[in-house]
Amino acid sequence: MRARLILALAAGLSLGVAAAKADVLSDAKKAGELKIGTETEFAPFDYIDAGDHAGLNVDLFAEVGKELGLKITWVALPWDGVLPGLEASKFDMVAGPAIITKARLERYVFSTPIAEATVALLKKKGDNSVQKPEDIAGKTVGGGRASSQLAQLKTFAATLSPAPTVREYGGSNEAMADLAAGRVVGISQSLPNAAFAAKRRPDTFEVVMPPFGSKVYFGYIMRKDANSATLVEAINGAIGKMKADGRMAALQKKWFGVEFDTPAAVTDPAL
Amino acid sequence: MNFDFNLVAGYLPAIGWAALTTIGLWIVALAASIVIGLAIAVARLHGGLLVEAALRLVVEAIRGTPFLIQLFLLYFGGPFVGLTMERLPAGLLALSVFGGCYMSEVFRTGIRAVPRGHIEAAECVGLDRWQILRRILLPEMMVLVLPAGTNIAVGLIKETAVLSVIGVPELTAVISGIGSETYAFVEALTLLSLCYWALVEICARLGRLAEQRLSLYRFAA
Amino acid sequence: MSWKLFTLLVQAAGATALFSAVAVAAGIVLGLLVSGAVLSHAKPLSAAARLYVSFFRGVPLLVQLLLVYHLLPVLGLNVSSATAAIIALTLCTAAYQAENLRGAFLSVPRGLIEAAEMVGMTPWQRFVRIEAPIALRLAIPALLNEAVAILHASALISVVGVIELTKTARDLAASTLEPLPLYATAGLIYLVMNTVLVQGGRFAERRYKVRAA
Repeated sequence: MRARLILALAAGLSLGVAAAKADVLSDAKKAGELKIGTETEFAPFDYIDAGDHAGLNVDLFAEVGKELGLKITWVALPWDGVLPGLEASKFDMVAGPAIITKARLERYVFSTPIAEATVALLKKKGDNSVQKPEDIAGKTVGGGRASSQLAQLKTFAATLSPAPTVREYGGSNEAMADLAAGRVVGISQSLPNAAFAAKRRPDTFEVVMPPFGSKVYFGYIMRKDANSATLVEAINGAIGKMKADGRMAALQKKWFGVEFDTPAAVTDPAL
Repeated sequence: MNFDFNLVAGYLPAIGWAALTTIGLWIVALAASIVIGLAIAVARLHGGLLVEAALRLVVEAIRGTPFLIQLFLLYFGGPFVGLTMERLPAGLLALSVFGGCYMSEVFRTGIRAVPRGHIEAAECVGLDRWQILRRILLPEMMVLVLPAGTNIAVGLIKETAVLSVIGVPELTAVISGIGSETYAFVEALTLLSLCYWALVEICARLGRLAEQRLSLYRFAA
Repeated sequence: MSWKLFTLLVQAAGATALFSAVAVAAGIVLGLLVSGAVLSHAKPLSAAARLYVSFFRGVPLLVQLLLVYHLLPVLGLNVSSATAAIIALTLCTAAYQAENLRGAFLSVPRGLIEAAEMVGMTPWQRFVRIEAPIALRLAIPALLNEAVAILHASALISVVGVIELTKTARDLAASTLEPLPLYATAGLIYLVMNTVLVQGGRFAERRYKVRAA
């Protein structure tokens, strides 16, 4: 009896391993759902609005889901757990979105870019001590762990003297709470996010222009292996259609107030 | 996937600082917990009905809710009532109050367990309240308090990990951050587990050692 | 604080209660087995069990949650957020329950065990029919403490993607920028659940108390 139990366990485990090596898109179609990992603290792309999961990601993937005939299942993790989760096949792809960088392109595949992601500083409204990005010298600023926005902030901070102290947060929500409480004078955010925060809470936040980062783009991340190839094609196809027929522009208008001109693909990112 | 510990080894200075932060937080919070716990226990036994009721409410609230909620209330809610603390002090305060409330229960049991006769004898000889506390209650309580106290001390080591959620640069925050940066998340988590395991084992051993040494003071109970 | 937000918190509290309950139940079962293993005469089994207890009592639950979620796929087992949370909570609490039960097992009256041996029960039958039920009843106060600890520990499972009371309070605090009423309410809901649990435990204690043989 024990022998049979062990055999069954081994068979089950091997099935688990075997299944992980199959084509991601066909697995998703079989299961009828596409699992997407994200951090729900990235307004206006992905956030919780009084209990409802809202944002550009939700709208965009609703369209993609219709196009591919798949239900969208969201998995919400802290950002520093999202990319490891993707590598562990906890989900089929990552929303976010994430900034397309050279380092990430070596490891992952990005979808066609969906918005500009140039990094700027968000400050407390009425804080006159910070009029331009260089004014953060000698002060305390912050960014989200494992984010490119934080990495860019650190690089920028290293060029200033005296160098500002850079704090790391679990997510944007925490960072913005600290900014509102005055524990930091600025946090690094991509322009769409910073502008949205300033629009949503005009009495609390203000964007510091000009942005201090280089021109970069946002994209969705997928694994860089043979099994994800068909998924990449399908996703790019669906988003490409949305870009062509104006649905993307409408979404950008809805969530950012402006439309972004995005290239079809980013092969040589600025960072 | 390959286990590449060399990758993580390059970050040793950062990890070292993080370990010092964790241990520092733990030691200070533990000391504060003992002081706060003793103060609450004594106040509840001798402070009168109002003090007892008020402290009982606080202790029940702290022992009845998750530490994370208490931390959030202090750190994120604080600014709205005029209390804006930086994350390290906030984490330390939250840990100390948390530990203090649990310690106070242990001390209350301990104080009550000391035989009434010993205290009466001390009163007869002319010792005042503070002297009785210092010379009779505390030494005799130690033996009873130590096992439970060690448990709380070990618990505090592990609660320091929760402080990573508000960004305190302790072991969990720093090592998992390194893991994300180097795409060696699983290796980092393994290292993190081993670090805590070692810390806790050392603490537990010290506790058992203290118990053995202090069993000299065990009274016939 | 609006009624809508309150109902959202209460709904999330339901998830908290569910996860806690499952982890407590599974933890007691696993704890019994581990405790039996620790006390068994088979040296390798006892050593393995003691290692397990040492590890899961020595590593913070936050780290255990992350480990279960990210390490298991490497070993071929890909589990969902909810499953990972339950597994981690169960493994963690079982280690503590094993310690609680160990003391209880050692307190089972020797006479009963000898009588069972005399009647011809196998060690497994003795364990399941005599020792375990008595140990469980002796350990009710400690088991109750552990159940309370799990209820509090469930506040951390959002780190592997489970939406429960604390995460919901956090999300709502972020969208309303009013952390104080939200966390205070969440705390009160935890207190209510805590009180219910403790009172239930006291009732069980009174009812199932082992009277002196």
